[in-house]
Formats: sequence, structure tokens, C-alpha cells
Amino acid sequence: MKEDMQRLVCLAGAGGIRAAARLMTMAQDSPERMAELLSASRVWPEPRIVVGLTGPPGSGKSVLVDRLIAGLRKRRPERRIGVITVDPSSPYSGGALLGDRVRMMRHAADPMVFIRSAATRGRLGGLMLGVVGTVRIMGLIGSDVVLIETVGVGQGEVEIAKLADLVTVIFPPEDGDSIQLLKAGLMEIGDIFVINKADQPGAGRRYVQLRAALALGEGRPDDDLPEVHLISALEDKGVGELIEQLDRRYERDHAHWRVRRKAAIESEIRRAILEEFDRQCAQAIGSEEVKRILNDETSVMELVKEISSKIAIGAYQSGGCCS
Amino acid sequence: MTEMAKETNCRASSMDFGGKGVPPARILIGKVGLDGHDRGAKYVAHILRDAGFEVIYTGIRRTPEQIVATAIQEDVDIVGLSFLSGSHKSFFKRVIDLLEKNEASDIILVGGGTIPAADISSLREAGVRAVFTPGASAKEIVETFAALSEKHKGLR
Repeated sequence: MKEDMQRLVCLAGAGGIRAAARLMTMAQDSPERMAELLSASRVWPEPRIVVGLTGPPGSGKSVLVDRLIAGLRKRRPERRIGVITVDPSSPYSGGALLGDRVRMMRHAADPMVFIRSAATRGRLGGLMLGVVGTVRIMGLIGSDVVLIETVGVGQGEVEIAKLADLVTVIFPPEDGDSIQLLKAGLMEIGDIFVINKADQPGAGRRYVQLRAALALGEGRPDDDLPEVHLISALEDKGVGELIEQLDRRYERDHAHWRVRRKAAIESEIRRAILEEFDRQCAQAIGSEEVKRILNDETSVMELVKEISSKIAIGAYQSGGCCS
Repeated sequence: MTEMAKETNCRASSMDFGGKGVPPARILIGKVGLDGHDRGAKYVAHILRDAGFEVIYTGIRRTPEQIVATAIQEDVDIVGLSFLSGSHKSFFKRVIDLLEKNEASDIILVGGGTIPAADISSLREAGVRAVFTPGASAKEIVETFAALSEKHKGLR
């Protein structure tokens, strides 16, 4: 039986946490329902600011997120905070251990904090849809700030971070020499940079190296360099300054963010359609179809026609969790 | 991956989610109370991960309130709690009450640890669907979680 999305949206909009969580599962599990959800979400309340936090494993992202939650809650006790943490799925078993919450458990029973873990599930398109949907639902339940934490390894995670209004890249002090900072990837996507673990040796030097590397970027004027924060999340030092920086960026750029979010909906709906199409195709192509090609019984073009006509009559509809 | 995991992951694997597979079931594994013996909980989290489940691990010394709020926000199918402290009866009761209060009684509860045989039937009567004691095999645990999670998904 399909759960009634509209009913869940109503319940979540009225503050129903269980309904919101069910909708998030739908967003993660059922691409065929996402276009519907994304389209409906155009009239939902939106988070004021969506921040992506990424960086290498062990750079202290989860602890920093924990401190950001605490800092934001203290500053604005009446406002809700959403957190999405992404951890990898096993390419062998498909399972995942989602452990980022361990660092944030002191906020678990705070009714103004909603934390949701997501596994990468080996499919970038599906994951991005799931995270986009989850951000929207966080908006629906009235979240002011949404933090998205991803491990900054691999293209997928970088793409996820780019869903945010602002991307914060976090480095630990002991992360290789200055050449690492010249490499493509993380260094290019950051709006704000953090050297975490300032309580450890080498952090100061890393800070200088990072600023120097950023200054090399395509002739930017000195006053337009991304800001670099030296933080010790562990000792809760420098976190307040980072929150102030996020607010300053909001003041400066929120009009631009609004336009960008509106423009993104179109490509998100396109992605939802493609995901569902891909799912149905994957279902249609089994070993039998491959064998027919191997035995010269059919051509790829013939097979495409055959599969398309089967898709057209709904031969592969549903199959998500809710069917 | 073990043979056991290979056999069982067909039900929970996500890698063929784009094909004929179904999305993985989500499981919360955690410990409540002051008991810090987490080796068993971590082991179970690990074998469930290897069997294709998505496991949300909460760590040690959590309150029933934290466990229930997490279970709801993460929309899990099953909550598995480990006890080596003798406090399983009172804490399970509190978790069951809180799930009810939050209209989340459909979430399946499972227990494990050094739970005396004499307590198992009363836990089961209270609504704990399975109890694993020392000596339970990985295969038995994985199969039970697979069967229970399938049942839970069927409710939706």
C-alpha cells in the first residue's frame, strides 16, 4: 500500500516529526515519488541557510557540527536546526554503518534539533535526490539552519556539498604538505575554510599554508579570498566566529541563494525522472537480454525499442519500498 | 564478506537498488544506561552492516529518550538494544512507553546481552520481539533482523 504523501506533508507541516521522517525515507528510497515531492515543495517554507561541511575523514567534522548545533541553539533558542550526515555504503554488502550521530547524541532529545543519517548507496543521482528532498522536508518542519555533513572524498561527496548555499571545507593540521593544497577538488569548492584541531601542533603552519594556497587562485583580489578559520572544535574555540561568518554571508548573499535554489528545482525534477527511468531500465535488462545480444539474436537498437515500449505500458512500475 | 552475509544480503542490499533490489532496512543499535560494555553492540552493528543493513549506531550511555527520538528521526525498522548491566527490564519498559507516547509502537524492539533466561519471556510479553544471549550465532541474528525488518516494511 502506498503511503499518502499528501497526508504526510500535512502532518509534517504541522510539526509532525514522525511524518517528516517517513517523508525523508520516501525521498531516499523512491525516486518515482520525488518529482511529486519536489514540485510540491515549491510552496513549503525553506531553511534560511543550508551549509555543507566536508573534508577528509578524521578532520573533526562531526564534532564541529555538534559544536555548531550547540552554538546556534544558544544564540537562537526558538529556531529549529536540521542536520543531514552522509556516510558511505559498502560496495560489497550494500550495508552501511552510520556513526556520525555518536558525536551529536547530546542533542538527540532536543525537540528543536532533527538529525538524519543517509547512506551513499552507490548511486550519486539517488543520493543527491535523497539529500535534496531531506533538505526540503527540514524546511517544511521549520528548520532555520540545515547542516549537511559529508566525507570529502570522491566526486559524489563533493557534489552533495555543492547542494548547499555555502560550502565549508574542513582540514585537520596533519594533512600532508603544502602540495596537497594545490590539488583540485576540495580546495575549489569551499566558500569558507576551516583548519580544525587548533589545539594540536602544526595547525598554525597549516593555516598559513592554506591562506597562501588560496591566494594563488586565479588572480583574486586580496580582500575577496575565502575566509580561513582556525578552530578547535574539541575545545569549542573559534566556533562562534564561524557562526558569525555564516550570518554575514547570509546577509550578503541570500538574495542570490534564493534565485539559485529556484533554478535548481528544474534540474532536480529532471534528475528524479532520470533516476526512475534508470531504475526501470535496470529492471528490464537482465542476463536474458544480454544473452540475446551475445547470440546476435537482436541489436541494441531493437532492444531499446522493445524495452521502451514495455516501460510505456508500465511493465516496471513501482518496486520501491512502499509498494 | 562472509558466505553468510552473501546469502542474506539479497534481501537488504542496496547496490542493486536500481535493479530488482529493495532499499535496505534501517536498524538502530545502541546502549542505554551506565553500562559501557559496547563490544557486543559494535559486533552486531558490524555483522548487520556486512549483511546489507543500514545501521545507525548511537554509542554508549544513552537515555531512553535519546534512543526513541533517534529511532523516530532516522525512521528505523528495528531498534536493537544491548545490556550487560542487568537493567534491561526497566529500560525496555521506558523505551516501550516512550515509543507508545510518540505513536511509534510499530518500530520493532530487539534485545541482546547478558539477559537471564528467566527474564526473556517477560521481555517478550512486554513487546521485545527477539532476545539474543551469549552464544547466539551471527547467522541467527542476521536472519532474525531480516525477517523482522521485512515484516515491518510490510506494515507500511
